[in-house]
Amino acid sequence: MRKILVVLMLFLASPVFAGEELHMFNWNDYISEEVVADFEKRCNCKVVQDYYSGTEEMMAKLLAGASGYDLVIPTQNAVQALIQQGFLEKLDKSALTNLKNQDPGFLNRSYDPGNVYSLPYAYTTTLIGFNEQRLKEQGIEPASWALIFDPRILEKIKGKVTVMDDADELFGAALKYLGYSVNDVDEQHLREAQAVIIKAKPYWAAFNSSSYIKELTVGNIWVAHGYSSDMVQARNDALAAKRDFAVNFILPREGAVLALDNMVIPKTAKNKKLALQFIDFLMDGKNAAGLSNDVGAGNPNSAALPFINPELKKLTAIFPDQKVLATLETLEATNAKVRRLKNMLWTELKLK
Amino acid sequence: MPAIWCWINTMRKTMQGKAWHKYLLSLPPMVYLLIFFAAPTLIMLFASFRYAGEYGGLAPWYLHEEGRLTLDLTLENWQRLLGTDIYLRLFLKSVGYAVMTTLICMVMGYPLALTIARSDRKSRDLLLLLVILPFWSNFLVRIYAWMIIFSPVGALTRMLNGLLDLVGGGPVTLMYSPTAMIICLVYVHLPFMVLPLYANLEKHDLDLLDAAQDLGAGKWRRFWLITWPLSLPGITAGSILVFIPVLGMFAIPDLLGGTNGIMIGNVIKQQFMESRDWPFGSVLSIVLTVTAVAVVLLGARLGQGRGGRG
Amino acid sequence: MFLWLSAALVYCFLYVPLVIVVLFSFNDSRLNAEWVGFTWKWYGKLLHNREMLAAAMNSLVIATVSAGAATLLGTLAGIAMHHYRLRLLPLLVLAPIAMPEILMGVSLLVLFIMVNMTLGLVSVMLAHITFSIGFVALSVQARISSMDPALVEAARDLGASPWRCFREITLPLLMPGILAGGLMAFTLSIDDFVITFFTAGVGSSTLPLQIYSMVKIAVTPEVNAVSTLLMLLTLVVITVASRLSPTLFRAQ
Repeated sequence: MRKILVVLMLFLASPVFAGEELHMFNWNDYISEEVVADFEKRCNCKVVQDYYSGTEEMMAKLLAGASGYDLVIPTQNAVQALIQQGFLEKLDKSALTNLKNQDPGFLNRSYDPGNVYSLPYAYTTTLIGFNEQRLKEQGIEPASWALIFDPRILEKIKGKVTVMDDADELFGAALKYLGYSVNDVDEQHLREAQAVIIKAKPYWAAFNSSSYIKELTVGNIWVAHGYSSDMVQARNDALAAKRDFAVNFILPREGAVLALDNMVIPKTAKNKKLALQFIDFLMDGKNAAGLSNDVGAGNPNSAALPFINPELKKLTAIFPDQKVLATLETLEATNAKVRRLKNMLWTELKLK
Repeated sequence: MPAIWCWINTMRKTMQGKAWHKYLLSLPPMVYLLIFFAAPTLIMLFASFRYAGEYGGLAPWYLHEEGRLTLDLTLENWQRLLGTDIYLRLFLKSVGYAVMTTLICMVMGYPLALTIARSDRKSRDLLLLLVILPFWSNFLVRIYAWMIIFSPVGALTRMLNGLLDLVGGGPVTLMYSPTAMIICLVYVHLPFMVLPLYANLEKHDLDLLDAAQDLGAGKWRRFWLITWPLSLPGITAGSILVFIPVLGMFAIPDLLGGTNGIMIGNVIKQQFMESRDWPFGSVLSIVLTVTAVAVVLLGARLGQGRGGRG
Repeated sequence: MFLWLSAALVYCFLYVPLVIVVLFSFNDSRLNAEWVGFTWKWYGKLLHNREMLAAAMNSLVIATVSAGAATLLGTLAGIAMHHYRLRLLPLLVLAPIAMPEILMGVSLLVLFIMVNMTLGLVSVMLAHITFSIGFVALSVQARISSMDPALVEAARDLGASPWRCFREITLPLLMPGILAGGLMAFTLSIDDFVITFFTAGVGSSTLPLQIYSMVKIAVTPEVNAVSTLLMLLTLVVITVASRLSPTLFRAQ
């Protein structure tokens, strides 16, 4: 017993890590590992990352008192909620030398006027990724949300489709398919959307927000509802692994969700100075370009554009032009009552 | 460290006086469990009558109105549970999965436990160890193993579909299906059934079987009339040990469940880790607690009623 | 014959998946869907995966501390439960074992948040102690009831003080039970996913949490490599433990 206690004390006494650490809470597959390694070398620190695969998951963790993250990458609607909650630290702009690189078109949005608390990191659209060869074999021409919602099309690809395990995203897609806004909170419209989902559900393989990159690349899944950046990665992975098919993606013509993700520092952060340094580092044109080249995200950084692979820049699903932009909508923060309603409809549809 | 020595010292002094022992020994674990087990359970009960906070967590349970404190509690969360049949169906579905898993574990575990109990002493320990061994590797690892196997381009699925093709059947997918879930649930919980069954079967008096054989009873008759009834307490114990953890499971449906693999555990997790609706999560947790307690009590009664040692 | 055959099939069912995990940890394909070729590289990558190493370290620290504390508290509880007719304590000790884990996870989460505690290593340790006490107490209690009370009485008759009697007779005799219980608490803590999932905070990710997120995001055969290493480790621990205390597996 005494020996065990001594060993125990030794364990506690020895510091687990040495050196500065930056705790980052980020979407999975949403940062260029090379850029992280560069930063670690430069500041002689460690970037410790935790990942999430949905806004709700991230909010629940943060608001349940997960304090100690120095840098979080929330989507615009979450930024709004976090500001209202008084959760975020004001950004010290004087420490940010690369602020000028930000594209003004992405600044000063309604969720954070004047960008007091947040700065844009990257943006994605929620769209449909697919296996080109398999769909061609089935004679399916992907163009609309019907690809994941219309039973007549789904019949041919039964069990080969996944949709996001995220109520806001899936309801958003179904609402768009029906011609409503993704932010529609009318109960009748939400029920219509639920009905669309329930009708299509038997043809889907799973609700999946986290591993569809791999499933598409391996060929287990032919059609996946997910983020544009992930689809770019699936496409690149399939190419690199020399699969006998290609992964492609399409922004449905009805329009889709645009997610603008931001860098924010929580009030509870332990290492705010390092977090600011990292934000500044990420806003450097070359580093910001990594987010597009390696991750496949759209880029709100003007200085990054020259470094981005021109082929990627041409894709309107990643870098939407004005015409496409008009069809895209961003999600808004919801109140407890709407969350409760969606939550109930969500549980119900999963049970059916 | 000094605290521990201090404790031992007091214990040593008071070991002389009898009545104090009881409290010195039982108080520390009792206080600990009261704080970290009993109190949280009661807090959950309380939370189930509160409003959800606007951004998550719980709203304050009192209101400041004209300088007075008034309670701000609600039955709304319970009404939500009872107001629709969704949660009843969810609950029944979870129970269904749990019953199914328990039955399959029984069918698979019984011959195994019997084989081990009837083998000679030397190989018995080894055979038993072989049952426990996989149980010591992390259960996520064991789930992951099945995810590899179920993968549509994986060997098992290909083989199965190859066979089905020969006999003219259509291809099947295993991944993300209720079948996959049940297989995995059984796999993870099988030792919970085998161990208590073995403990029971091992104690059986083999002379009884010999006597029955001498009286001319056949193999199956001997089993049904002697072994089976005697093993019922073991089956009860094993069933409880399988049923309860399966009922609260969320990781397996999460990873393998597909579009309708959802159990009460997933919805509880969703309330706390996604929807930020703690009061309703508490309601569902209490339902699960009550069910688990009822199952344990029922099991205890069954065990006693048969006079066996469960 | 029928019995043996079905038992053999069940053993296959138990082991084939694990063999596949081990096999695929040597698969030279990032996608790990079909067999490509043999490689050691995932093990090499693992050794350089800082997040994994940090998680392993966290797991070890949490398991050591919580097993230590749970052994102390559980031993006290086990002795008390044997010597006195208590009503509340056995209930408190047994109930956490009988409840689905998720319940303890969420209720502790609510408790920790209510008292404004930052989730982290400490909250995970407190939670692990809670579910381990019962296992230690049961193991110790089982050991005491198999002890011969005449030994203690004889010592008392020879004039030993109760304290001396406890230290020199009861404690050494109890040791195997305490050790077995402590070891069980250690492995339960190392292995726990559900309760840790709800009570862990920033920078307190444990191996099971890390494995969960890897399995969920489905990255590379590193998951297989870490699983294989974990299996090896438990195999070693079990072998050592069964040498130390042959009764350990009976205590299950």
